[in-house]
Amino acid sequence: MQFLVLLVVLAVAAWLGYRAISEVPSLLHTPLMSGMNALSGITVVGALVAAGAAVAWGHSLLGLIAVVLAAVNVVGGFVVTHRMLKMFRSGRGGS
Amino acid sequence: MVILYALCAAAILLGIRWMSSPETAVRGNLTGASAVLVAVVAVLIAEGLLSAVHLWMALLIGSAIGLFFGRTMPIIAMPQFVAMLNGLGGAASAFIALVVLFGREGGAVSNWALWAASLALLVGGLTLSGSLVAAGKLSARLTQRPVVLPFHQVWVTLTALLGVALLVITSLQTSTLAVLALVAVALLFGVLFTVPIGGADMPVTISLLNSFSGLAGAIAGFSVNNLLVVAAGGIVGAAGLILTQIMCRGMNRNLAQILTGKTTSAASPDSGQRSRTGQSASLASAVSVLNEARSVIIVPGYGMAVSQAQEQVKELIDLLASEGCDVRVAIHPVAGRMPGHMNVLLAEVDVPYDRLFALEQINDAFADTDVVVIVGANDVVNPAALRAKGTAIYGMPILNAHEAQHVIVCNFDTNPGYAGVDNTLYEEPNCSLLLGDAKKTLNAMLRQLREHSGDESLDPRILAEVASKLAHAKNVVIVPGYGMAVAQAQQEVKRLMELLEDLGCRVRIAIHPVAGRMPGHMNVLLAEVDVPYSKLFALEQINDAFSEVDVSIIVGANDVVNPAALDAKGTAIYGMPILNVHQSRSVVICNFDTNPGYSGVPNPLYDDDKALLLLGDARSTLKQLNEYVSELETSQAPAE
Repeated sequence: MQFLVLLVVLAVAAWLGYRAISEVPSLLHTPLMSGMNALSGITVVGALVAAGAAVAWGHSLLGLIAVVLAAVNVVGGFVVTHRMLKMFRSGRGGS
Repeated sequence: MVILYALCAAAILLGIRWMSSPETAVRGNLTGASAVLVAVVAVLIAEGLLSAVHLWMALLIGSAIGLFFGRTMPIIAMPQFVAMLNGLGGAASAFIALVVLFGREGGAVSNWALWAASLALLVGGLTLSGSLVAAGKLSARLTQRPVVLPFHQVWVTLTALLGVALLVITSLQTSTLAVLALVAVALLFGVLFTVPIGGADMPVTISLLNSFSGLAGAIAGFSVNNLLVVAAGGIVGAAGLILTQIMCRGMNRNLAQILTGKTTSAASPDSGQRSRTGQSASLASAVSVLNEARSVIIVPGYGMAVSQAQEQVKELIDLLASEGCDVRVAIHPVAGRMPGHMNVLLAEVDVPYDRLFALEQINDAFADTDVVVIVGANDVVNPAALRAKGTAIYGMPILNAHEAQHVIVCNFDTNPGYAGVDNTLYEEPNCSLLLGDAKKTLNAMLRQLREHSGDESLDPRILAEVASKLAHAKNVVIVPGYGMAVAQAQQEVKRLMELLEDLGCRVRIAIHPVAGRMPGHMNVLLAEVDVPYSKLFALEQINDAFSEVDVSIIVGANDVVNPAALDAKGTAIYGMPILNVHQSRSVVICNFDTNPGYSGVPNPLYDDDKALLLLGDARSTLKQLNEYVSELETSQAPAE
């Protein structure tokens, strides 16, 4: 894939993300932030590619560290976001 | 693969759309999580890595750690946890960049991928160290105050230039040394850029770091040529940017001011009343002296180490500081049994080092200090060193504790210290002796101090007036602020809501966008105690309704309800959006004190005729108020 394509993808994603996120009410800003945080752990995909492609032992180790860190980021982030979101309860329905 | 990635990205965007309402937000979050899971499995299949055991192990370990902390982290600790996660995201991107940079010999790595990797290393590294500093500040392990080094901006600029230069080098040629230097510079830059930011500006910092972690991810995505990582990183970067904008607007600041630490207002402690010189040696008088003190210096000595009282010293510092007292610790160069002994002991119990002062830094300050508390120190505060010619101690530099208004000595006994010279300080008229094991003495002192501040009973007449206003109110709005979080008063807020609703009153909660220390802080705290979100209203939803409100109750909020923002041109707060609490018929203020908020601009609301002030710890205030309100209820019920 070419550099330019990625650049376009970045711009479009950022723009769509900006639009979508602007809709999120301040009520949910903390879970939004932790959720976005978890999402930034999608680097786990990049880390897997990098670690998998690494030839030398040392490079592979660096890649594995990246995988571990990103996995903590993804799982920790989504779990804590889930926990917070579950706490928000509506007055009408009530649970 | 591209199609699958596009689908994942679409799912993530859909998830964010669902995040825009609390009803669907859980689903939105799960959608996002599933998209990441699908992407991980897909990439493992596509790259033929399904049998790579080491990758699975790494995934498993990381997930287990994430699961553990995600489940057990208390909600109170959320700001620092989010900051830590930001840091991890940055670190992961930096490591990916390292793999690319070090592995350039092996595979065919294109030029722009190397540029991207170098940049990802820089951004990821500074996100990591910046987030660690932010987490330290948020958990109060580091000082809340801005730390501005001499020529700070110069250092920042130099570091940034060095970073760019190294970036160019690592992109163009293989050099392990240059890569490592880039890592070091990136980490240094992260620290330099976060230390000058004050504690109350953390909502901005944490949002900005959130944006950086996304940006680092997107750039790392370039370096490994992965569409989904680029897309997701872009989305996160945008999210962080939006939050940063919202926070800045809410605080009426621009980013440059915050980043350079130019935001802390000069707190103006009234030089005010000197505490009277009570001379009784009893604990009670010592406690009352401490209660009135505006400035306290603690002098620890070897006796603190012997009785292991450093934890109590830390508690005393925290307690006094939380009541607005200026607390410093004076450390004599030879206090203890090794150089820096006291510093180590106090650092171990997390006393921030900016509270610790060396003899030459603090010795002139004793004369202007209300109370000195000596904990197991003797020779180093013995005034005989100044006067008693011919004694062993004469001429030794001492801490001028005797110059303070009042001295409380928590030593084991009055025997002379190592020098063998009687301590004339003990006979001074302004000195109270609390003899015995320092740990026990301090524990007793802490207990009494806490009781003192705990049952600071409010004026029953004002409480009754507030209660009667509430009894007739049909429409009440509660405005929480950071003070609610500090006092952990959310449970009492909820109870007050319920009591008022039982009286047939409409109760809403108005939340300013920057109330608290992170975006949505108040919402999370209130959700945790089961306040339904349908009762929570954002500024723009409720601001027009205040003129119809009978009573507004402010719980630990200040700047966000300061009407000076509307008319006091030229002040730091002017132009900041505020909740129009001043338009309601009456206002009850449950704040700690009437000091100006973070902006440093006094709040005219306090002097307003329709304002009723219930000052003190918000939780204790609301507890007392709730008792009054619940009595209203019982006395009214039979009448109906």
